[in-house]
Parts: sequence; C-alpha cells; structure tokens
Amino acid sequence: MTRPLITHRTLDRIGLLFVALVMISPVILFFLWMISLSLKYEIDNGAYPPIIIPENIAWSNYVKVFEENNFLLYFWNSVLVTGTATLLALVIGVPAGFGIARLKAEKSAVVIMIARMTPGLSFLIPLFLLFQWTNLIGTLWPQIIIHLVVTVPIVVWIMIGYFETTPKELEEAASIDGATTWQVFRLVALPIAKPGIVVSFILALIFSWNNFVFGIVLANRETRTLPVAVYNMLSFEQVSWGPLAAAALIVTLPVLLLTMFAQKQIVAGLTAGAVKGG
Amino acid sequence: MATVNIQNIQKNYGAVKVIHGIDIDIADGEFVALVGPSGCGKSTLLRMIAGLEEVTGGAIRIGPREVSHLPARDRDIAMVFQNYALYPHMTVADNMGFALKLKKADPAEIRTKVQRAAGILGLEKLLDRYPRQLSGGQRQRVAMGRAIVRDPQVFLFDEPLSNLDAKLRVQMRGEIKTMHQRIGTTTIYVTHDQVEAMTMADKIVVLHDGHIEQIGAPLELYDRPSNLFVAGFIGSPAMNFIDGRIEEGAFRTKKGLILPLPQGVAAAGGRDLVYGVRPEHIRAATHGIEGRATLVEGTGSEIYAKLDARGEEIACLFRERLDVRFGDTVSIDIDPARIHLFDKQTGLRL
Repeated sequence: MTRPLITHRTLDRIGLLFVALVMISPVILFFLWMISLSLKYEIDNGAYPPIIIPENIAWSNYVKVFEENNFLLYFWNSVLVTGTATLLALVIGVPAGFGIARLKAEKSAVVIMIARMTPGLSFLIPLFLLFQWTNLIGTLWPQIIIHLVVTVPIVVWIMIGYFETTPKELEEAASIDGATTWQVFRLVALPIAKPGIVVSFILALIFSWNNFVFGIVLANRETRTLPVAVYNMLSFEQVSWGPLAAAALIVTLPVLLLTMFAQKQIVAGLTAGAVKGG
Repeated sequence: MATVNIQNIQKNYGAVKVIHGIDIDIADGEFVALVGPSGCGKSTLLRMIAGLEEVTGGAIRIGPREVSHLPARDRDIAMVFQNYALYPHMTVADNMGFALKLKKADPAEIRTKVQRAAGILGLEKLLDRYPRQLSGGQRQRVAMGRAIVRDPQVFLFDEPLSNLDAKLRVQMRGEIKTMHQRIGTTTIYVTHDQVEAMTMADKIVVLHDGHIEQIGAPLELYDRPSNLFVAGFIGSPAMNFIDGRIEEGAFRTKKGLILPLPQGVAAAGGRDLVYGVRPEHIRAATHGIEGRATLVEGTGSEIYAKLDARGEEIACLFRERLDVRFGDTVSIDIDPARIHLFDKQTGLRL
C-alpha cells in the first residue's frame, strides 16, 4: 500500500521542481551567462557557437575593473549614498508608517505613492538647478537627498502594511500602562515591527543601490556610484563584455549577499511574531 | 481603590447612536459585571471608562476625579484584554513590570512588586519566559498580574475568558473572584456569558442596544427580572415564554393550555401577557400538565427535556433521575410562586 504512495509523492516533487526550475530559469540563465562572460577573454566572448565554459579563465577581467577605474571610490560612494538614504528613510518612514496606519490617513499614503510614481526625469532638472544654487553639486548630498524619493515610499508603504496587522490592543495596553504616544511607538510598536523594518530596509537598499538615473544626472567623476561606473565602462570604440560583466557582478554581489543573509532574518522574525494574542 | 460614577454617558459613531445615556454607580471595592449580547455596547462602555474611546456626552468619575477627557495613561486603571495583549518581545517579568518602569520606579521595588503579584497568581517559575512560551491560562494570569502590579484604582476586564476552553474558563473564573476578594480593588468586568456574571459579580448591569435593561444583584435579576429581555438573558437554560391571557383566574394560551397562577394577579386580565417560568422550576408530577417529550438530554446530574404540551413548547430541567425517552408523555407541575408575568406589549414585568 505504501509503495505507490511514495512513488506518487516523488513524482509530485519532481514535477514541482521542474516547474520551479522553468519559472526561475530566465533569472538563473542570465546570471550564469554573466558569470561566463566575466570569466572569458574577448575572443571567446565573441565566438560562435557561444562558449559557455572557457578553456582559459580570464581573471584579468576582474583585475581590469579595479585597475582601469577608481572602482573602490565608486563603491564607497554607493555605500554612502545608499546607506545614508536608506537609514534616513527608516528614520522618516517608520514613524510615518505608524502614524498613517494608526490615524488611517490613507490619503497621505497615496500622496507619497504619487511621488514615487512620478518619473524621476521630470523633477531631476529643477532639482539639479536647486542643488547648483545651494552649491551641493560635487558632493554626495544631491544623490542622497534624491534617493529618498526611492527609499522613503518603500519604507512607508511596507510599514503601513505591517503596523496595520499588529494588534492594536498591545498599544492600548501600553497606553493604559502609562505610556505616552511616543513611548507606545518606541517601546511597543517598534520592537514588534522589527521584521517589517528589516524587509523595508532591504528593499529600500536594493532599489537605491541599483538606481542609475539619478546618478547619471547628478554625479561627476568623483561622486559617481557603482551603476554609473558600470555604464561608463561602455566606451565609444568597443564594448568589452568581459570587464563589463565582471563589473556588473561586483555591483550585484553586496546586494545579493545581503538578501541571502537577511532572508533568514525575515523568516525568523515573521515566525516570532506569529503568536496568538501577541 | 475608588468608586466609579458614570453619568448619562453617550457614544455616537457619526450619526449612529451606540450608547444612549447610561448611568451606573459603582461602590468602592465592588465587582460589577456588564453583560449583554454582542453589539449591546458593553465593550464600548468599558473602553470609554478606560479612555480608549472618546466620550460623546456625559461624565465618568473615578473617585472624586472627572476623567471623561483624560488620556488612558492618566486614569489610574488597569485593563485585561480578551486576547491578553501581552508584549511579545518582553519576558513575563518585564510585561508585569512595564507600567512601573514607565513610572521610573526603582528596579528593586519593581522586582518586589512583580514577585508579589507572581506569588498571588502562581507565576514565580514563569517570570523569565516569553508570552509565546506560555499556555492560554498562563497568559491570562500574566495579564492579570500586569494589572495587579499596577495597584490601580479600578480593574477593567474585557471578556478575559472567552479565548479559553470550558474547563479552564471555570478555573480562571474562580481565580479572578479569589483575586478580587483578596485585593478588593473595584472591578468592572465585561462578558457576554451570563453564567460568568452571575457567579462573579456583586452587581450586574444588563445592557441591550445601548440601553440599561436592569441593574441589580445576581439573584435579584434571576428572581425578579424587570422585563422580558432580562428574563430571557439571565438564567441557563433560558426561561420559557408562553403567550396567553388571564381568564377565569388561570392563564390560558390560545391553544388551550391552562397554567397555574399565584394569588392576586387576576387583575391583569383582559390583555395579552407572556407567562415566564424557568426550566428548573418545573417538577415532574404524577398528575399535572401533560406533554410529549420532543427532546431529552441527560448529563448525569440533571435531565433537560423539551415537552410539547398542547402545541406549546416547554423546556424542563429535572434534577432527579427520570426514565424519560423521546416520545414519552410526561406530567409536570409548575410552582405558581416562581412564575413571572410580563406585559406582551411593553415587555415589562407585571
């Protein structure tokens, strides 16, 4: 009796695996292709039929990325811009999300969303002029400030959703216990919302890290961020696929590692919060 | 400890009136239960006393202080919620000491008070655990502990036992009552379960559609319900209601069933009445009103039966072991001294 059951289950699993593989194949294949490109010499990259695994591995592509560009500076710029923009977004967005969720101020949430949906280019020029007048061009501040347009709405929207699902009684209990609104937020709502904060932090970080448009307009040679630096590897004479792919992988790596690390955090946080009655 | 005085309290949500001017006086140290069906406004009233809900009109006083418009944190009350509302990121000890910590009390004093409350509730061994590591009953006790540590003027309970299983509910009922007798703090307890109200409260307030139907001691409500609603709500199983009129000194239903009456009610003749009798006030008799059993449920200690007597359904609760089965004809006797008569039109007791 048990034998056919097991076979059935195994078949189910194989089927599920196959479907999952098909669904994620575009992502995986594109990633594998990028790795392959970054490890091949230019001659192999242009070959037909394409070579997936080269005979000679071209580590020099990675060396070239760091040699020919001030890649470490751009990396540091990216860290500063994304880091500051994300942290500022948490400082502004988490309390804002709490306030909007508790006061049911959906309209202000929509206004924030509109700011996010407006095409960046439409406000980049006036902002560029503004930063010029304020003598901020040439520093990282214009990019940090404008990245808030990306990060704040993400944090606010995720936190609204999170605070709306946390039981209101906890906050009521705290206010009966003698807490002021600020204490209720800081001592009760905030610790409970930790998983939500982690999720919004990561998403804000990814969007800000990968942002290209703001950087290309506002950054100069010294204040360039990584996505802009990768773009600048395309020269007019030729496209060097190897170094380009290597640079792109280097840019992706920190975000990839962070997501992999934080995924565990998110799951752990969610299960910790899933207790009846708090 | 303090008195609680509620004067003409009203609550509107927009144009919808939820509470229509309620007056309740609660003495110092009294245990008052607010009961009523879902949507009667009992939880809203409690939340207004707690300061979690704005008051539309009227005044609430705790002791000599008018608190109607004070924030919850300034009312010196403690509340136990239906879902316990324990802070999930704090240990039991931190949960219980949270209010004192907010008051910036001395850590040693907090520890002493938490230990004392834990002693009262048998929580000493659980102080380092988190709420998620506790059972329902233990969480309930921690919620009570959090209230005790505060040493507030008034305890508020919002259906605190409804998430527990039947057996635990009976046990916790006893524990809350014991705690009240020991500490003596004025307590307001909201429940939809009239058995809880009957067993625990010194005074019961029966609410219905935002109005008070009756206020009184549990037995007073049981013995002399002032209207049909209270009569039907208090008591389990519920009172039998039979429509009819008084004719020739007896109560006669439309279908011709004749029921006994106490002395001196004949004056109420000539109008439509409701005859109320509790199932437990009906006895089996050798000669009496005859009915056919349409439902028989035995629990060992008692037998609950529904009889069809000339088309009228009468529920009976027999304490003795009768050999009654579905379809049997049973003879019953009603004690005329324990019946209740209500005006059908107004619903009021005669």
